[in-house]
Amino acid sequence: MTPNTHSSLSDSLAALAPGDRRLIRSLFIAALAALALGLLLGLWVALARAGWARPDLPETGYRLLTLHGVAVFFDWLTLAQAGLLLVLAAQERKAPLSLAWMGWAGLVVMLVAFVLHLLGTVWGNPLLYDGSPELVAEASQGALLFYSGYGALALGLVLLALPGLATLVKARKAGSGSWSALGFGAFAWAGLLLVSAIALANTFLPAILWAAGWGGMPADHATLWHLLFHNMHYLPLLGTMLAWYLLLPELTGARSIFGSGFSKLVFCLYLVFVPPTSLYHMFLEPGLDPMVLVLGSLLSLFIGVPTIAAFLVVMTSLEAHGRARGARGGLGWLKALDWSQTATHSLAAAVINLALGGVLAFVLIQEKLAGLLSDTFFVPGYFHFMTLGVVTLSLLTVAERIAPALGGRGGSVAWARYLPWLITLGLFLFGVAGVVAGSQGMPRRVLDASYEGLAPTSWVLLSWIIGIGALLMALGLGLMVARIGAAYLGFGPKALAAEQPQAALEELALKQGAWGASLAVALLLTLITAATWGAFALMRSLPVIAIGGAGH
Amino acid sequence: MSQDVLLLGLISAVWAVLALAYALVPMLNMPGSALIWGSGAGLFLGLALWVRRG
Repeated sequence: MTPNTHSSLSDSLAALAPGDRRLIRSLFIAALAALALGLLLGLWVALARAGWARPDLPETGYRLLTLHGVAVFFDWLTLAQAGLLLVLAAQERKAPLSLAWMGWAGLVVMLVAFVLHLLGTVWGNPLLYDGSPELVAEASQGALLFYSGYGALALGLVLLALPGLATLVKARKAGSGSWSALGFGAFAWAGLLLVSAIALANTFLPAILWAAGWGGMPADHATLWHLLFHNMHYLPLLGTMLAWYLLLPELTGARSIFGSGFSKLVFCLYLVFVPPTSLYHMFLEPGLDPMVLVLGSLLSLFIGVPTIAAFLVVMTSLEAHGRARGARGGLGWLKALDWSQTATHSLAAAVINLALGGVLAFVLIQEKLAGLLSDTFFVPGYFHFMTLGVVTLSLLTVAERIAPALGGRGGSVAWARYLPWLITLGLFLFGVAGVVAGSQGMPRRVLDASYEGLAPTSWVLLSWIIGIGALLMALGLGLMVARIGAAYLGFGPKALAAEQPQAALEELALKQGAWGASLAVALLLTLITAATWGAFALMRSLPVIAIGGAGH
Repeated sequence: MSQDVLLLGLISAVWAVLALAYALVPMLNMPGSALIWGSGAGLFLGLALWVRRG
């Protein structure tokens, strides 16, 4: 929804140097490979929990879980976001990238990071993705490799962010002296990428020094990890909103009816709310001042404000444009969207998953519930809605959309439209069963949820449902990744010339009443209230023992 | 000063205030917070200045 989308995304990518296009293509190929690996490992873990697969040794299962987390949460998301940043920079600049060599260096460093993580996990003790030093024991060489993987990741993030930043600064200078909303959002987002690199170094440098024998055991690793993770929560959420802003004019021709200045303010809100909302991570620390609990609870309510604001801008603009083009009735503007495109289905599924994940997120950050739920399966039950159902689906949509412009294929196939809904169905089973299991106290990081027959019967049943959900998710996502990956490698049907979206009717759109998004947010707030009330009621009725810990 | 620079400056200012709060208010003491948000404040100030210079 930028004001300068007169040329399509394909035209912007065509204006890049051939090497720039190869760089973006390579980033997405590497990202898709990481996602495919992480997906297989995650499926194996879910099947093990359901009792349908048995890794040879418990350590093997935890190694799979560790690599699943690292491959998906760090490698896939970082590489795909780096690709998105360069696409956004290209869209703003409409000319070759600056410092592209640094992007190549960043890609190489990211691959090194992955190899280090792989070696460290296989050779040392499986530390899970937070790399707790308490689990290292005597295996310090493996831990050194694993921690160094995060060190390399920090360097890779810096190297990948700088070309985006430099290109955007040049775009601003070459243009009218100010960015489009999308350009500003991309620049601020790249700044947060750099802060995340600092947070990575801050968390893992003490661990690297300790594992190398040059320093003491890090005393605050868990807290530093929480800070890093807080950044890593916001980073892909802002990236997702930027992806939606990028895609919607491409798909629908609609532009923001709120103006560029307002959209910039919304993107700025993400950054403004990052530090204050981090306070709720302290809920897991013992002996907190009651004032901190109150303050943290109040501030945590702001965590969804920027995303809700961005959602309102996107959806209200979409509805207003739909009505300006003649859509009638409550949902006529939705029906009028181009449902022949896979991207429309993917983004619609992402919106639904955002609502489900958002409701559960607000339950999880309640001060009274955080300690009870943080080490239970409630957490993966909720965050897969966000990481897979929202962020991954949105990033994959961008990857699919730009594949032909990067020299790949990308022809439309009808069955691909069902994949986002198959993934969402799997997520729903996985998430709902996970949340129910978590509410009953089922731990998240165990491979045998039956506890050799000692666990409640419901845990076994819920683990089966989680396994079925994981199978459906893996099937849908695996097919989607295979299709997009094949397109990047030059296989599959050729893309036809993209149909130009209808021209924006901005003046007419401004005169339309568009309440759909506002009503959806009102419904969301009602659901959040109901879910929180329900969670408290459930907790009071169960003999759950708080196991606390430093989950997230 | 353009809106772009002003908003980047606003981010820097908010992060700096929060970094100070995390550093100076004992009950908010969360190891690493002041360093991360303080570094971020410096970074966004640097970015704002870079954009202003163009």
